[in-house]
Amino acid sequence: MTIILETRSLSYSYGDETQALKNVCISLEEGKKVALVGPNGAGKSTLMLMFNGILRPSEGEVLFRGRPMKYDAASLRSIRRAVGMVFQNSDDQLFAPTVYQDVAFGPTNLGYASEKVLRYVGFALQYVGLSGYERRPPHHLSGGEKKRVAIAGILAMEPEVIILDEPTSNLDPASSEEIMEMLDELNYGGKTLIISTHDVDLAYRWADEVILMKDGGVVRRGTGPEVFGDVELIRDARLKLPLVVDLYSELAGRGIARASKPPKNILELCDLLQPKSGSRGGACGKIYICNVDEAEEKEILTMLEGLPVDFKGAMGTSAKIVAEKCGISIDFTYGVIDKCILKSLLGKNTIIMTSGGMVDHTLQRIRDYGQESGTKIEATMALSGVPKTLSKLT
Amino acid sequence: MHNLLDDYAHDNALRENSARLKLFLGMGAILLSVSSPTPIAPLFLAITMSLITVILAKIPGRIYSRLLLVPLSFALLSAGVVAFMHGGGQILFSMQLLGIDLAIREEGANLAALLIARTFGGMCSLYFIALTTPMIEIFAVLKTLRIPQSVIELSMMIYRYIFVFLDQATMIHSAQMMRLGDAGTKNTLNSFAMLCSVLFLRSWEQGERLIVAMDSRCYDGKLDLMGPAVGATPRAIFAVTAYLTASAAIAFLTRDVLLL
Repeated sequence: MTIILETRSLSYSYGDETQALKNVCISLEEGKKVALVGPNGAGKSTLMLMFNGILRPSEGEVLFRGRPMKYDAASLRSIRRAVGMVFQNSDDQLFAPTVYQDVAFGPTNLGYASEKVLRYVGFALQYVGLSGYERRPPHHLSGGEKKRVAIAGILAMEPEVIILDEPTSNLDPASSEEIMEMLDELNYGGKTLIISTHDVDLAYRWADEVILMKDGGVVRRGTGPEVFGDVELIRDARLKLPLVVDLYSELAGRGIARASKPPKNILELCDLLQPKSGSRGGACGKIYICNVDEAEEKEILTMLEGLPVDFKGAMGTSAKIVAEKCGISIDFTYGVIDKCILKSLLGKNTIIMTSGGMVDHTLQRIRDYGQESGTKIEATMALSGVPKTLSKLT
Repeated sequence: MHNLLDDYAHDNALRENSARLKLFLGMGAILLSVSSPTPIAPLFLAITMSLITVILAKIPGRIYSRLLLVPLSFALLSAGVVAFMHGGGQILFSMQLLGIDLAIREEGANLAALLIARTFGGMCSLYFIALTTPMIEIFAVLKTLRIPQSVIELSMMIYRYIFVFLDQATMIHSAQMMRLGDAGTKNTLNSFAMLCSVLFLRSWEQGERLIVAMDSRCYDGKLDLMGPAVGATPRAIFAVTAYLTASAAIAFLTRDVLLL
């Protein structure tokens, strides 16, 4: 694995008294999803502002791809292009009077020709599902839409790393799940993501690596179960246990569940409580996967009529837009794969509508689950001429 | 959710028409209104522009008339003063107030009527622009008129942040009302002063955050401007030209007509 961002004994103080960061040494791998957690004033935001050169460390250094960051204008330009930052308050970030102008801001300043700017903006807005919003002013957008525009503004610069300060604060649950799902999609496309959050449930299930900060220093790094497994540490850091971990530890205390480490999500928790596939009784339901990129609206509708599907899930922005256009009522809009596996274990048939780029990821995830749990779940491509049954591969 | 003129500008039946043409129509009507020597042409413009705004652009008549009341009340007040101050011609009306003779003569009355008509015509035309053309479209037109880039960029930022600060001012105001900041004149004044000072500090901070936001996206002195969305159709151009020509003709033909 390549290390993309690294800090070496990084310290920073605002003014002369308050030391916001003390001797922070971390290295972040390329393509990972990293969550910075910690109480207010732990130095999360300060650290994030160091990653794209907005703040200059008092001591120590930041390395991008192994090279120490320099702070002259040209180096800063290249680092800020490679490491994009989405602010907590979208109104801080959206300063242009229209959505188009805001998303175009980065590409324009990178000196792209206007035709190229247009193409990049079009791509970025389509990615976040806001095509057609070009001429809207930001004050006519909802909180979730503003956040999407802010992300589009960063995407248009094609960064390698995207930093998001509290991406889900002030958003309603559905909007924040959609934003997190979009981040998953981006990560699957190869981007390294760093978020800061107070939402321990989110950090626990979403992040590959959790970095726990307190009083300007890093207290613990590791996977979610590693960091949140330490109850005392979490209490000291003024955080709380993720619900799954809390529930698991109570169940373990009663001798109902037993495992070496806490489950990562509801699916794992369920499997922990009812480990053998046979004990569920009955066969598993099928999971159909529909690639919305390759299908016409009519095709999807006729296909849905023909399939014995109990639950429908839409994963990714474009799939949700297609579902809405077709007037299909969707049961799951986030955590879709896990939800569908759970329903499949109950013997129900489900369909996952998603875009082309995520099909392989979906199949892989279902296959991995099958291998880990020893349960055979049949995943079938709906719509593609000859149905390709993949459970045989496992 | 229509609270501001800006909301109507973004959502009216004439939204998708050429901004340049709408500006031309509005500005032309304003100029004709204020340059007409008699009240007839401005009154004609006021009535027709109002009809265009209410019927063609589908702005609710109730809102529109409430908007017009503001400038109209000013115009009526000043017209009253003008009517009494200008002499000449026959006395139309006279009275005694605290031993002073007050009289309206012909010339004063005519001038007052002209004043009201011009204000009315001009305001109706201005409201037509304000209610049908969003600022962003106007910026795009300004760009093609070779207004200096920096002036447009500054105006765009100011426009954008008006709404951010409007939100903040509303929130601060509600926070003050919740704790009885409006109990009595003294309190109200105090609250208002506090609101102003807090808003100033906030805008200062916002400015600093703006610089960070722009820097982190490689700000290099460039801000993209959008071109006007749609061009005008020949039919629309013809209609606007015919309308303005007709108005100009009315102004010219009625140049010697006096109402009184």
